[in-house]
Amino acid sequence: MAEFMELEGQDGVRMAWNVVPGTKQEASNCVVPVSAIYTPIKPFPNMPVLPYAPLRCRNCRSVLNPFSIVDFAAKIWICPFCFQRNHFPPHYASISDENLPAELFPQYTTIEYQSPGEASSLPPVFMFVLDTSIIEEEMAFLKSSLSQAIGLLPDNSLVGLITFGTLVHVHELGFGAIPKTYVFKGSKDVSKDQLLEQMSFFLNKPKPTTGVIAGARDGLSSESIARFLLPASECEFALNSVLEELQKDPWPIPADQRATRCTSTALSVAASLLGACVPGSGARIMAFIGGPSTEGPGAIVSKNLSEPIRSHKDLDKDSAPHYHKAVKFYEALAKQLVHQGHVLDLFACALDQVGVAELKVAVERTGGLVVLAESFGHSVFKDSLRRVFQSEDKDLGISSNGIFEINCSKDIKVQGILGPCASLEKKGPLCSDTIVGQGSTSAWKMCGLDQATSLCLIFEIVKKDIPDSTVQSSGNQFYFQFLTYYQHSTGEMRLRVTTLSRRWVAGPGSIQDLIAGFDQEAAAVVMARFVSFKMEIEAEFDPIRWLDKALIHICSRFGDYQKDSPSSFSLSPRFSIFPQFMFHLRRSQFVQVFNNSPDETAYFRMILNRENVANSVVMIQPSLISYSFQSAPEPALLDVAAIAADRILLLDSYFTIVIFHGSTIAQWRKAGYHNQPEHQAFAQLLQAPRGDADAIIKERFPVPRLVICDQHGSQARFLLAKLNPSATYNSDGHHPGGDIIFTDDVSFEVFLDHLQRLAVQ
Amino acid sequence: LDYKTLPRPLDGDVEPSSFVETYPMNCDPRYLRLTTSAIPNSQSLVSRWHLPLGAVVCPLAEAPEGEEVPVINFASTGIIRCRRCRTYVNPHVTFTDAGRKWRCNICSLLNDVPGEYFANLDATGRRIDLDQRPELTKGSVEFVAPTEYMVRPPMPPLYFFLIDVSISAVRSGMIEVVAQTIRSCLDELPGFPRTQIGFITFDSTIHFYNMKSSLTQPQMMVVSDLDDIFVPLPDDLLVNLSESRNVVETFLDSLPSMFQDNVNVESAFGPALKAAFMVMSQLGGKLLIFQNTLPSLGVGRLKLRGDDLRVYGTDKEHTLRLPEDPFYKQMAADLTKYQIGVNIYAFSDKYTDVASLGTLAKYTGGQVYYYPNFQSGIHGEKLRHELARDLTRETAWEAVMRIRCGKGIRFTSYHGNFMLRSTDLLALPAVDCDKAYAMQLSLEETLLTTQTVYFQVALLYTASCGERRIRVHTAAAPVVTDLGEMYRQADTGAIVSLFCRLAIEKTLTNKLEDARNSLQLRIVKALREYRNLYAVQHRLGARMIYPESLKFLCLYGLALCKSVPLRGGYADAQLDERCAAGFTMMALPVKKLLNILYPSLIRVDEFLLKPSAQADDLKTIVKRLPLIAESLDSRGLYIYDDGFRFVIWFGRMLSPDIARNLLGADFAAELSKVALSEHDNEMSRRLMAVLKKLRESDRSYYQLSYLVRQGEQPREGLLLLVNLLEDQMGGTSG
Ligand SMILES: [Zn+2]
Ligand SMILES: [Zn+2]
Repeated sequence: MAEFMELEGQDGVRMAWNVVPGTKQEASNCVVPVSAIYTPIKPFPNMPVLPYAPLRCRNCRSVLNPFSIVDFAAKIWICPFCFQRNHFPPHYASISDENLPAELFPQYTTIEYQSPGEASSLPPVFMFVLDTSIIEEEMAFLKSSLSQAIGLLPDNSLVGLITFGTLVHVHELGFGAIPKTYVFKGSKDVSKDQLLEQMSFFLNKPKPTTGVIAGARDGLSSESIARFLLPASECEFALNSVLEELQKDPWPIPADQRATRCTSTALSVAASLLGACVPGSGARIMAFIGGPSTEGPGAIVSKNLSEPIRSHKDLDKDSAPHYHKAVKFYEALAKQLVHQGHVLDLFACALDQVGVAELKVAVERTGGLVVLAESFGHSVFKDSLRRVFQSEDKDLGISSNGIFEINCSKDIKVQGILGPCASLEKKGPLCSDTIVGQGSTSAWKMCGLDQATSLCLIFEIVKKDIPDSTVQSSGNQFYFQFLTYYQHSTGEMRLRVTTLSRRWVAGPGSIQDLIAGFDQEAAAVVMARFVSFKMEIEAEFDPIRWLDKALIHICSRFGDYQKDSPSSFSLSPRFSIFPQFMFHLRRSQFVQVFNNSPDETAYFRMILNRENVANSVVMIQPSLISYSFQSAPEPALLDVAAIAADRILLLDSYFTIVIFHGSTIAQWRKAGYHNQPEHQAFAQLLQAPRGDADAIIKERFPVPRLVICDQHGSQARFLLAKLNPSATYNSDGHHPGGDIIFTDDVSFEVFLDHLQRLAVQ
Repeated sequence: LDYKTLPRPLDGDVEPSSFVETYPMNCDPRYLRLTTSAIPNSQSLVSRWHLPLGAVVCPLAEAPEGEEVPVINFASTGIIRCRRCRTYVNPHVTFTDAGRKWRCNICSLLNDVPGEYFANLDATGRRIDLDQRPELTKGSVEFVAPTEYMVRPPMPPLYFFLIDVSISAVRSGMIEVVAQTIRSCLDELPGFPRTQIGFITFDSTIHFYNMKSSLTQPQMMVVSDLDDIFVPLPDDLLVNLSESRNVVETFLDSLPSMFQDNVNVESAFGPALKAAFMVMSQLGGKLLIFQNTLPSLGVGRLKLRGDDLRVYGTDKEHTLRLPEDPFYKQMAADLTKYQIGVNIYAFSDKYTDVASLGTLAKYTGGQVYYYPNFQSGIHGEKLRHELARDLTRETAWEAVMRIRCGKGIRFTSYHGNFMLRSTDLLALPAVDCDKAYAMQLSLEETLLTTQTVYFQVALLYTASCGERRIRVHTAAAPVVTDLGEMYRQADTGAIVSLFCRLAIEKTLTNKLEDARNSLQLRIVKALREYRNLYAVQHRLGARMIYPESLKFLCLYGLALCKSVPLRGGYADAQLDERCAAGFTMMALPVKKLLNILYPSLIRVDEFLLKPSAQADDLKTIVKRLPLIAESLDSRGLYIYDDGFRFVIWFGRMLSPDIARNLLGADFAAELSKVALSEHDNEMSRRLMAVLKKLRESDRSYYQLSYLVRQGEQPREGLLLLVNLLEDQMGGTSG
C-alpha cells in the first residue's frame, strides 16, 4: 500500500487499478471500475509554481508534461495523448537535455502555472444567510459564533448579510445611518430582475434594455453594489451592531405549528443578489439553518406539527409530499449558482431535520462545505466555523471558481465524476455514453474547492480486442491529464496540471499484474461512493445484494483456491482486507440508511464524496486504538472482543470520536484516582486518548463530535454500533469483554465463511 | 348695488346674543349655532325664508378658562336617557310625580327616574338637588361612558406619520422641519403614558421602522413589491411612545440625514398608504401624511391634470375637483371604518392632485394643510406651528356624533369633513376643537304645534386619558309663525357657514359660475322677500332694506364668491390651491371662516411710533379698516390678516426710519427676498409683539408674514390688492 500512498504524495491521486485492465471485457471482469480519487489542489510544499502560461498541444489542448517526447534538436515535442508534433515557441529556444523547463522534469508530474497576466486579486465574497426562526438561546449561540467569524474575515473580503424566518431580510450594510433591510415575502419566489428592481439598483441610471444584468461591467454601479457587499474592514462595526440587535423571528407561532421558515426563498434571494453583483468571482453563500424549511418552494414539511418530517421510509415509499418539489427547486438553484460560479455552504444546526437531503444537490454541485450539528452551541458547529476562517496552521485552503478538465489516451473514456462538482456539459470524444454522477462532459465546474476536496473519476476502457502482437509489448501506457483552473485563496488564478501514466495489460497472463496494481483502500472508497450514488438514483436498488455480488465476483476472479473447496481459499495481500472493507461498508451509515434520518444520510454522503481515501476509509471502517497499562497504545480489531474492563478504547469513525472507558477504568476515574499524586500513571493513561482525540479533531473538517463514555453507559452505543458483532445475544460461548451486541447482523467470521463458500463455486 | 354703501363687518364675527338670553340654559353658541333661532312652524314659512335652515356645530370648541364643560360620572346609576328617543337628560327635561318620573323634552315620553337618581321636588316642581346636578342646569355637559358605550377597550392616542422622502421632499427641507417638530412635541402629545407612535417613509419603496423599546436605534425595513404590500413585522411598527422614547428620538434625529442623498423621484403613495393602514388598523388613530410629489407608482397613481384651460366652463369642469381614482374614496371609507383620521400636508411646487389626496382627509374627518412650493427657509415656521398645533391640541378619538331634534323637524343633510354612517351618524375617527360641522333642517309636517324645539348634539368619543365620554350640547329655540321674526333672529355667521359649504359642494358637481350664481340668487331672493314684507307699509321705493341681523350678509356673500374655492375661472387660482382651500373651508368654525372671508386690515405705523404703547393696547388703538384701496395711505404701514397669513404693506412714503428699524439692512431690498425678523430696537420688537398677539387670538393656523412694498408689481397685486374684495369683481357678476 505504501507505494500507492507515495504516488498520492506526488500527484494527489489514488487509483483502484494502478495497472489498468486493457480491454473493455477485461475491465468489466474486474468489477471495481477503473477509477481515480483525485485531490486537485492538495498542497505539495515542493511543487513548483511557474510564472508563465503553459504550452499546449495545438491539436488536443493538453499541456506539455514530462511524458511528452521532446526532440531538442528540432525543438519539437510530441503530445502523448494525440501524438501531435508541436513546435516549441521561440522563448523555449534554449532548452536542451541539460536545460529542461520545470514542466518537463520527470518528478514534476504535478505542477502549477500562475500566468502573470491573470494575476487578478478578486476579493473573496461572503454572503451570510441566517435563520432567525430559532429560539433565543440558539440565536445567542449563533450570534456569538458569527461575530467571532467576522473578526477572522480577511480584510479585503466583501461581506453581505441576509436574515430570514417568515420573511427574508436583505441587510443594506452600507446604509450607515441606521440598520436597514429590504424585506421579501417568504412564500414568494423573486426573480433576479424583480430583485434588482425592488432593491432600487437602477435609480441613477436606466436599466439596460436587453441581456443579462451581471455585475459592475454590466450596468450596475459599484456604489449600488457596495450598498450590500462591503469590505470586511469597513463593515465590521455595522455587521456586529446588526447582529447584536438581531431579533428572533417575531411572528407568533401557534402551539400546533412549526415556525415559519422560508429557507429556499432566502437562498434564492442570496443567489440572485450575488449573481447580480459579483458574477464569476469567488463568492460563498454561508447558510446557517436552525430548523426545517416550512415556507416557499423548498419547504420540506408543512407547518402543521401533526405532519412528521419525511423519513427514509417515506422517501422509499415515495410518500414525502414536499420532497420532489424541494429537490427540483434546489436543482435549479444549483444550476444558477454554478452558472454564477458561487458556492453554497450549509451549516445545519438543529435537533430536527432542516432539509439537508433536499439541499444536498445545491451544496454538492457548488462544492460547498457542510456541517451538521444538534445546536449552534455545539462544538461541532462552533469549531468547524472557526476552522473555515482560521488562516494559520490548519488552513483549509479554501479556493474558488475552479474548472476541472480531463485529457486521456484515446482508448479511455470518462463516465463521470462522483464528487463536489458540476458538469459544464462540454461534450467530446472523451465522454462515455454511460453516465455516472456528473458525466457526459470533459469539463466540470468546481465553484468551491479546498485542499481536501477529492473527486472520484470513473473511467471506461473502450478498447475491444488486442492484436496478439501488442499484448506483450511492455510500452503499453495510458495517459491521464487533469487540469484544474482555480482562484487560489490569495486571490490569484492558478492552473494545476497533473499528468499520469499507467501501464495497461490484457490477456490471460495479466491477472498477476492487475493484482499487483490493486489499491484496495481506493477501491473500497470508490465502491462506497458508487453504491451511495446508485442508492440515490436507482429505485428498488438493493445495495447489499449488489455489494455481495461484486465482492464474490472479485474473490472468485482474484482469489487463490481450488474449485468448490472453501477451505483452500486465500487472497493476495493486495486484496486481503478488501472483504473486511466491504463487510463494514455493508454495515455503514452509507448503506444502512434506515438507522439515520435522510438529512444525516445526505450529510454523511456529502462528506464521503469530498474526502480523500484515507479519511473515507475511516468512515467505512472506523479505527480503534486500545490503551492499557500493559502496553503502549495499539490498534485493536474493530470487534466487540476489544472491550475490556481495564482498557480505554479510542474509536474514530470520522464523524464521531468515542473515548470508551472499560468498567474498571471508569470506576477508578469516578473515584478520582487520577487526581492523586501516587496514581500519576493512571492520570496519564486517562489523558493519552484525550490527547490523540484532540490531535484528530484539530486536523479534521467538519470537526467531529467527541463522545466520552463508560462501559455499560448509555453513550456506549456510539462504540458498540461500530464493532463487529462477534459476540451477539445469538452467539454462544464466552464474551471476553463482557459485552454483547444486540443485533441480528452477521459477524465478520460468518460473513467470511459465506463469502469463501460462494467464491469457490 | 353698491357694496361700498353696505355696513362692513369690522368687528368680525359677533355671536347672536338673543339665543342665550331667551334660553339661559342653552349651550354656548361656540358649540352650536342655528341659522335662525326662530324656527318656522310651517313649510310655507320655510319656502319664503330662502336662506339655509340649519345649524353649525363645533362640538369641541375651545372654552375660555372657567367655562370648561363639566364632566359627570353617573357610575353605577348609568347614564339617564329617554327610553324612546335616546335623548340624554338635560336642563329642559321636567320632573313630575314627586320626582319619580321625568318627561323627555324631545319626544315627551314619561320616563321612570332610577332609584339612585331620585330626588324630591320643591314647591315649584324643581329637584332639590339641582345645584349639584350640572346636567340639569347646563347646556353643555360631558358624561363618562360606561362599558355599554364601547365596542372595545378605549384606544390609546395614536399618531402615525407617513412621510414622503423622495428627492423633492428632501430638497424642500420639509423632512427636517417635520422631524424636528415631531421631536419637539413628544412631551406634549396627548395621552401620556399610553400614547402610541409610528412612522413609514416612502419613495418608490415603502420603509417601515422597527421601534421596539429594547433597541438602541430603530431598524428600517424596505418593502418594495408594490403590487403585494405586506407588513414586515407583527409588532413594534407602532410603539408606546414613553417606552420607546429613545428609539423614536434617535429616529427623528437621523431621519433628515438618512435621506439627504436620496435621488429617488418616484412616489409610491398608494402602496405606502395601504401599508400605513395595515399597521394602524388594529387600533386606529391619527395618520399624518406629508406628501411632496404627485403619486406616481402603484395603486392610486395619479396623472397630471388640471392644466387644461379648455375644460373650464364646460360640464366637465367639476371633475377636476373630484378625486381621479376611486381608490382614494375607497381607502377613506376603510380608514374611517378602522377609526383612522387622516391629515394631509401637501408641499409640492407642482401639481399634486390635492383633489384626490384631500378626499382622504375629507371622509375621515381630517383636514388638508397646503404649502405650495414649500421651502423650509421661508415656510418652515408656518409648518412648525401648524404641525405642533395638530399634534398637541386636545383630540377626541374614535368618535361618532349625532344631532337630535324635536318632533316635526328633521336634519336632512350634513356638510363638512366626515363619513356618514347610517342616516344621521357622523363617523369622526379623530376630531378636535378646530373642526365644525354644518347640517340642514327640514320640516316633516305641515305645521309645528309645539312652542319650542330642542336640539341635542351628542359626541361619543374616547378622551386621550383613556376615558370613554359623551359630550352633550342641548339648546332650545322658539317656534314662530312670523317670517319677519325668522329674519330678525337670523345668524349671519351660521348662514354664511352653511352657504359656504353648500357652494363648495356645488363646485364638485357644477361649474364655479353655477355655484356662485345659485348662492347669489338665494341671497337676492331672501332680501327681496324681506323687503316685500315691509315695502308696502314703509313705502321704501327701490331702497334696499335688510334686518339688523343680516346687515353683513351681502358683503359676506360677495366675499364668498371671491374666495379661493369659488373665485373666477382657470386663471384665478391654481387648481390645487382651490381644492385645498375648499377642503379647509369645509371644516372651519364660523369665526375662522368669517375672518378669511373678510380679513382684517389694520394700520400700525402710528402705533409703532407711540411712546408707551403695549401690544395689549392694540385693540383700543388700531381699528380694522374697510378692504378698499382707499384705506391704504402711502405713508402708512398696514397688516392684512386673514387668519392664514399676514401681508405687511409698506407704503411708498413710509418713513425710511420705520422701514430701517423693521427690516434692518434689508430695508431697501426687494421685499420678496426678505424674511421678517426681530431687530434690536423698540419698533421692531413692538411689531413682532403685535404679530404675536394677532396669532395668539387663534392658534389653529399660523400666519406667515409676507412683506410687500406699495407699487411692487405683480406681487402687490397678487398678495393684497386681489384681496381688497370690495374693489374688484374678480370674475363674479356682482
Ligand atoms: Zn495532443
Ligand atoms: Zn324622548
